[in-house]
Amino acid sequence: MKTLLNKTTLGATLLMGAMAMGGTAMAQGYPDRPVELIVTFGPGGGADLMGRTMAQLMEGPLGVSIPVSNVGGASGNAGLTQLRTNPADGYTMGTLISLTVASWASGLGDNKPEDFEVIAVVQSSPSFLFVPSSGAHQTAEALFEFARGNPGAITVATSGYGTQDDVTLKLLANAGIQMENVPFQAPAERYASPIGGHTAAIYEEPGDVAQFVQAGQLVPVVVFAAERHPEFPDVPTSAELGIDISGLDNYRTIAVAAGTPADIVAKLSEAVATATASDEWKAFCTKTYSCITPVTGDAAQAMVSDFRDLIAAQLAN
Amino acid sequence: MAALDLLGGGFLAAFQFWSFMTIVTGLLVGVVAGALPGISFVNAMAMALPFTYVMEPTQSMLFLGGIYVGGVFGGSISAILINVPGTPASLPATWDGYPMTKRGEAKRALTIAVTASATGGLVSALVLAFLSAPFASFALKFSQPEFFAATILGLVSVIAIAKDQPVITMVSLLLGIVVGTVGVDPLYGQARFSFGVPEMESGIRFVVVMIGLFAIGEVVDLLATNRDLRPKKSQGKAIGASFRDILNVKGAIARGTGIGCLIGMIPGAGATPGAVIAYGIEKQVSKRGKDFGTGVEEGLAAPEAAKNATTGAAMVPLLTLGIPGSAATAIMLAAMMLHGVSPGPLLFIMDPTMVYTIFAAMIIANILMIFAGIGVAQLFSTLMRTPPAILAAFIIVLSVVGAFGVRNNIFDVYVCLAFGVLGWGMKRVGFPSAPLVLGVILGPLAERYFLTSMANAQQDWTVFFTRPISGTILGLALVFILWSLSPGIKRLWIARRA
Repeated sequence: MKTLLNKTTLGATLLMGAMAMGGTAMAQGYPDRPVELIVTFGPGGGADLMGRTMAQLMEGPLGVSIPVSNVGGASGNAGLTQLRTNPADGYTMGTLISLTVASWASGLGDNKPEDFEVIAVVQSSPSFLFVPSSGAHQTAEALFEFARGNPGAITVATSGYGTQDDVTLKLLANAGIQMENVPFQAPAERYASPIGGHTAAIYEEPGDVAQFVQAGQLVPVVVFAAERHPEFPDVPTSAELGIDISGLDNYRTIAVAAGTPADIVAKLSEAVATATASDEWKAFCTKTYSCITPVTGDAAQAMVSDFRDLIAAQLAN
Repeated sequence: MAALDLLGGGFLAAFQFWSFMTIVTGLLVGVVAGALPGISFVNAMAMALPFTYVMEPTQSMLFLGGIYVGGVFGGSISAILINVPGTPASLPATWDGYPMTKRGEAKRALTIAVTASATGGLVSALVLAFLSAPFASFALKFSQPEFFAATILGLVSVIAIAKDQPVITMVSLLLGIVVGTVGVDPLYGQARFSFGVPEMESGIRFVVVMIGLFAIGEVVDLLATNRDLRPKKSQGKAIGASFRDILNVKGAIARGTGIGCLIGMIPGAGATPGAVIAYGIEKQVSKRGKDFGTGVEEGLAAPEAAKNATTGAAMVPLLTLGIPGSAATAIMLAAMMLHGVSPGPLLFIMDPTMVYTIFAAMIIANILMIFAGIGVAQLFSTLMRTPPAILAAFIIVLSVVGAFGVRNNIFDVYVCLAFGVLGWGMKRVGFPSAPLVLGVILGPLAERYFLTSMANAQQDWTVFFTRPISGTILGLALVFILWSLSPGIKRLWIARRA
């Protein structure tokens, strides 16, 4: 396989090219050295893939290398604490995702929306309830009907208490559909549990379980969004079933520490825009059912703080 | 026969020059990284991840697979030679491997270890190649109660390992479990024992504790006692283990391999519990069980075989279900996803060539590991001729780097140094530190599995006993603990009667 050699040479050439470009960029200031991207979760998850893809695609427009470091723990708060306490000079970026924002609402961590400047919201996806294809209830109607008659008998695999998963289940319970929240910290265990028949359903965004959906092991039955998902036109929204639950989409952003100079933020924002316009990114987000028009500036910032308030209000109920 | 044909094709692909070199490179990187205290094979794989960007998907898997196989063994080199486990899974290698080194049988210990590891790994790779499909559906039968039961079996094994001091072993183990509870609880997001320190909210990582207790603790002890690490005279002449040596421990290797293959398939378990449980069971089964801890060959071979037997087995759920069972396989998942390859049932249909090339590579890697392992071990023996002070300095630097690298946080370095001082103190007073580390590793797992099981079973604790697999494993744990405590109980009973 000669390709490795070719690719390595290509990689080295690109790297040298990048370094040379970094050299020219030095004259205009930022960035004149590598920019670190902190992925706030461990390797292999949705945030990690987004971060690594984004880092690769931003290296071109920024002209410097973007090493990725995984700083996981405390629903993403460990990495964000590091992002917040590093100098606000644009040489550290981080992934800030809705799951972490929801964790703030339940009192976790000591980070606030004001601590970060959101460069752009780059991915977003509504969540679904999926049931195993071997399960007893193959439609949302059947599932909900059973849950109405047998409160708590349906178990739903989720990512934890105090998350948007939890909020959704609470809202369903308020509407008389009481299902048991079964939190799984490790995503792999969460996916395996409905497939193995240990839980009756799983609350997840389609991108994270795409392979199981494509293999026919998991069947989407309801989407928690205002409209049906274009990729799953046959799956009804919860509103169509009489329970309007939306606005809890799982989104992922690239952020820097608050107080980063405006021209640096602008430069990063431009780089993210170039990255998200690329074919590679389009292929990536299509595969993970998470393509959106990137949200930037004040709108992005508002999305984060509003989401925190929304979750906090729901949890207080 | 289809599987054999495909595997043949896989071998052809894996023996292509660049593929083969990728496996060899990965293997060497893994063995060296594993052997260096402070850098575990998981660290090495994470560091290698960016290098896989420029590779083809299959090639990236060969590289990471090589590091995985080599790294899981590599940790035992430093465990056997200097009593510092290079990775957590090599902890049991210090119990009977290092005493052999002290007797001047380092080379014999290393040969037994590498043979056992390679055998375990090879069988595991064959299991991966031929039994993936049936094993995958078996693995799905495991849910949280079964994981909990397996973790309890692991904890019980720790007590069974205790030579003649079950009480302080239990104290040490419980201390470890307490350390493991520090930080945000896995389900409710509440901070515990964090004393308002934000860094403590993210918990205390077992790797950091292990590096502190063993690497730093050992080095401080080394410097304090002015011990000489240089190999004894006799060692120069003594060549590796003879064929007869290996034959003598074939039972231990077989048992270790079986245990490793089973444990490896359980998502979340991995090499460390595999090695510990294998050691515990071997101690009960072996005729020389009572002498374990003094440099008994079976006590070295069983956990060595078990930990490498988890490597192939851990890839069964990854490749067949798309579910990574451990940190190492999660990194492999990341590498595959970054190349746009989703492991899972579809992969076998869409890209069988890739799957079978990976199978072939795992088989090749385990055979090559014998040479890589012995080669690197030789290098390390040479290293040991350097004055202890210089060696100590290197170990401390590597430890600090390793502790920092866990999540790129300076706080972990302080924690590591604190545990280093504690480890030295424990060593001085003869308080076993291995149970503490295992408590930190297994405690949080047990908690997580327990809480999720309970949530899934409407808070009904009988679920652990009524589910057949979980009940069987817990029954085994009970037998295990009674068995290991039986001499003591018998003594007590006789004393009472007299």
